[in-house]
Amino acid sequence: MSDPAALTLAEAAQALRRRELSSQDLLAACRARIERWQPRINAFVSQEPRNSGREGPLGGVPLAHKDMFYRAGRVSNCGSKIRRGWVATETAAVLERLDAAGALDIGTLNMAEFAYGPTGHNEHWGDCRNPWNPDYITGGSSSGSGAAVAARLVFGALGSDTGGSVRLPAAACGVTGLKTTWGRVSRHGAMPLSHSLDTIGPLARSAADCALLLAAVAGHDPRDPIASHEAVEIGIDRPIDSMKVALSTGWIERNAAPEVAAAVLAASRTFKNRVEVEPPDFDLLSAHCLTVMQSEASAQHAQWMRERQADYSSAVRVRLEAGFAIPAAQYLEVLRLRAAWLDQWKRLLGEADLYLCPAIAVPLPTREQTGPHGGADMPKLLAGVTRLTRWVNYLGVPALVAPCGFDARGLPIALQLVGRPFGEGTLLAAAHAYQLASDWHRRLPPE
Amino acid sequence: MKPLSAEAIEAMLAAQGIPLAAGRAERLAPGVNALAVADALRAGLAFEVDATTYLLALSRNK
Repeated sequence: MSDPAALTLAEAAQALRRRELSSQDLLAACRARIERWQPRINAFVSQEPRNSGREGPLGGVPLAHKDMFYRAGRVSNCGSKIRRGWVATETAAVLERLDAAGALDIGTLNMAEFAYGPTGHNEHWGDCRNPWNPDYITGGSSSGSGAAVAARLVFGALGSDTGGSVRLPAAACGVTGLKTTWGRVSRHGAMPLSHSLDTIGPLARSAADCALLLAAVAGHDPRDPIASHEAVEIGIDRPIDSMKVALSTGWIERNAAPEVAAAVLAASRTFKNRVEVEPPDFDLLSAHCLTVMQSEASAQHAQWMRERQADYSSAVRVRLEAGFAIPAAQYLEVLRLRAAWLDQWKRLLGEADLYLCPAIAVPLPTREQTGPHGGADMPKLLAGVTRLTRWVNYLGVPALVAPCGFDARGLPIALQLVGRPFGEGTLLAAAHAYQLASDWHRRLPPE
Repeated sequence: MKPLSAEAIEAMLAAQGIPLAAGRAERLAPGVNALAVADALRAGLAFEVDATTYLLALSRNK
């Protein structure tokens, strides 16, 4: 075996079970890659082991997670200056469950400040950089999770998704990422941003890997009041011909960059059973998402905004300031409308199992274009990057992002599969079928 | 809905104990006002609906 770090999580777990490799082999391979890649991409915040492995379905597989999942007695900086060095007193439900499954936790990963940014910039901890080209954004806010998995520094990572924060880094870094249904995964012990939208999900090399991670972390938890009792059903081996896929080809052709449209539509043809539908009102639903996100995030940060405003980066401070200007009645009316929009979503899908669209419809911008010194075009660039992710959070449904090509600059292009509430299994099965028929997810960034 | 002016935004934030740097309210206004979008579903929203009905919608739309 040339480089064990190049295996998928599923392959690595199997090699461990068959005793073809040891956990120490995997750890050494990951550490060798971290040594080479960390100076280039700044994916890790800390590299100290945070648990010890044990027997289990993920027994001995090295993982690392966004620096916002608390572990009792350990630091969670949450990408911020305000929480720099803050020591948690409890352990996140998702980490407890991964510990129980035997996974190694080998460090904490970079992220946007308080998970409130879509690009991977971080003025407190340094920008995370895209392994395919460090001049370009990683996507955020789970920037380190996307970059570390793409560079094969770990076999998988957890991120959080409030407006696209799992899917944007997965798309920009060329890995597979799953935004779960609101309530599918317990958020106990995870840093909150917007309680009506926050979800936790895996980033890994393949849909099969994400399925393994989801199986380990999903399920009811009495400590999270919105954690669902719905059964966790994740069977990824479904024939591709049994799946009916809805899409809006005309919208993609008119709105996506030509390279993105070509790659996503080519991927869609893997699914023989397709149906054309009117697209959801992406922009309206995104506006509703932002109303909820900004209102709740500002309420969450109200005390620090009054007492420690100077300790926020200017980008995050502006977003938080905006939330204080949203009338309470507007916020609550948007939440009242949410059920009606979910009913509309069911009608749009009709008989289809899922909806297929791009993850990011525009060419990926550079860090310079979208950073503190970005020009007048920056708001438009950021709106383009997030246009197709936020609407999903407003609906609260699951969505999976997977690589489906590369643009002329060598940067990944990704498709997005959006499902029904608690339909993660369907999305994983569809993506798994697509990945059995393609090899985009197996490409490695150049050394 | 009438757009919020920069002055109104500045006053709203000041009332909540959030001071704004000079010129910041003018920068915030377009983004804040862009969120107050017309939504056709508003007209059909039953009086009895509140935010928690979304939990039921998650179950019935599986």
